[in-house]
Parts: sequence; structure tokens; C-alpha cells
Amino acid sequence: MIGVLITLIVLSIVLASIFLVRPRVTEGTGWKIVAFIGLCVLPVLCIVLGMGTHMQRSEQRRFCVSCHVMVPYGQSLYLDDAKFLPAQHFQNHRVPPETACYSCHADYTIYGPLKDKIQGLKRIYMQYVTTPPNPASIRIDGGFKNAQCLHCHLGARDFMENPVHSAMMGSLTSEQMSCLTSGCHDSAHDIEQLSGAKLWRPGQ
Amino acid sequence: MKLGAIGMGRFLRVSSALVILGLIVEIISLLWFHPLSFVLFAFVGVILIGLGIAVYLVSLLFAAQQHAGTGGAENPFRAK
Repeated sequence: MIGVLITLIVLSIVLASIFLVRPRVTEGTGWKIVAFIGLCVLPVLCIVLGMGTHMQRSEQRRFCVSCHVMVPYGQSLYLDDAKFLPAQHFQNHRVPPETACYSCHADYTIYGPLKDKIQGLKRIYMQYVTTPPNPASIRIDGGFKNAQCLHCHLGARDFMENPVHSAMMGSLTSEQMSCLTSGCHDSAHDIEQLSGAKLWRPGQ
Repeated sequence: MKLGAIGMGRFLRVSSALVILGLIVEIISLLWFHPLSFVLFAFVGVILIGLGIAVYLVSLLFAAQQHAGTGGAENPFRAK
């Protein structure tokens, strides 16, 4: 995908260079069409495909942990302790490992990807313009929503047939009771416990 | 300044230069795996390319106006 896009960009650059060096070539009708393609159609296509590529790339785990403050959160996925939910989901491929962060932290609404991108821009602003936060003090605005868990678990047999879940299904779906902070699944990233913790090494 | 004084060739040169710059910025942003690469693409690359396209579209309007004004006799590429 990225190879095709770069080829398209190079082609656009070559076409645009012709009109930069010799704008008079567009006197011919055929060249007018080429100019329209080279200076309008292809650049718009490059923007659209470039935006798509950047959006896809920003869903990758290695993109998230490329910010310094996110590094411990990335490490916490390797905690060798099944009680930690993110580690358990990541290590057992309950979420795609390459998009592990995005799978649980995406806002699964119609404008979700846009909201996520705006949130990301705010974090970049904090990182480079204001004071970067202490990783341990980072909290999700509005708390972690049950909808992000239920996006996968709702309708899954082992979740639905669990008597504890079925007894409180209404409270869970209406967000009255939190999956994480109600005391049931409260071991999330807990990066304060990372130092000295045993980490899982794949292949060992 | 009237658009006619600028000349079609100048419009095309400016448009091409902006589009080329924007596309170069886009290539850099695609090869640079960093959160800032999106910012570079969205706030520099897209703006440069968008400006280039806008200048090109303005040049089309200018050419059409000039063509209509001279009854199709004048070539907008002729040196001013």
C-alpha cells in the first residue's frame, strides 16, 4: 500500500515538475488534461490515500509506544501475570497484537476515529508544547467506558453465560457499573508495579 | 493587482511548486514513523498541496475569463 502511494506521489511530482519548468506546454489540449490530472486529480488522490495510510498507521501498537510516556504502557502488555487484563488480552491474542492499544482504546462510535485522532493531537501538544505528563498519572478522559469491553464481549458465549455478568447486564450496558473500577477487573496497566515485575518473553 | 498582470505561466509555476513541496513533505511523513509525522502530513503537506490545487483552479478561472474577454483570440500564455 505504502509502495503504491509513494509511486503515485513520485508520478505526481514528475508531472508537476514538467509544469514548473515549462508551463507553456499546457497550450496544447492534451497537455491541459495532463495538467488537470497532475495538478489536481493526482494530488487529491495522494492526500486521500496518505490520510488513510496515516490513520491505519496510528492504530499500530508500535506507533502508540513511539511516544516516550507510552513506553511503560507498552511494557505492561508483557507482564507475566494473568490478572492484568491488557497483558492477558495481548499475550493470548484476544486482541490483534499489532493493534492492541487501538482495539481497547478506540471510541467505537460513528465519529470515533476522528475523536481518537483529536485526542492524539492533544497528547502531541502536551508532549511538545506544554509539560509532558508523568506516565503513571495519565488518566483517560471520562474514564474507561464499558462499551470498549462490550464491543467484543457482548454476545460472546462465555461472557453472556457467566451468571455474574448476566445478573448485572443492564448496569454494564448502561455504564452505571464500570467493568474496571467496580472491583471486578481492576488490574489494568498498573505501570507503578512494572519495576522488578516478571515480563513474558515470546518464544522463551 | 489584476490577475491578468500575473500571467497563466506564473500561476502554473506557483501551483506546481506548492504541489511538489507538499508531496515531498508527504513522502517524508510516510517514511518517518513518529507521532509527529501525522502532524507534518496534516498541517504542512495537506496545506501546501491544497494551496497548489487552489492556485491551479484559480489559474483555470483566469484563463477562462481571459479567453472569454478576448473572444478566444488571446493566448493567456503569451508573455506579458
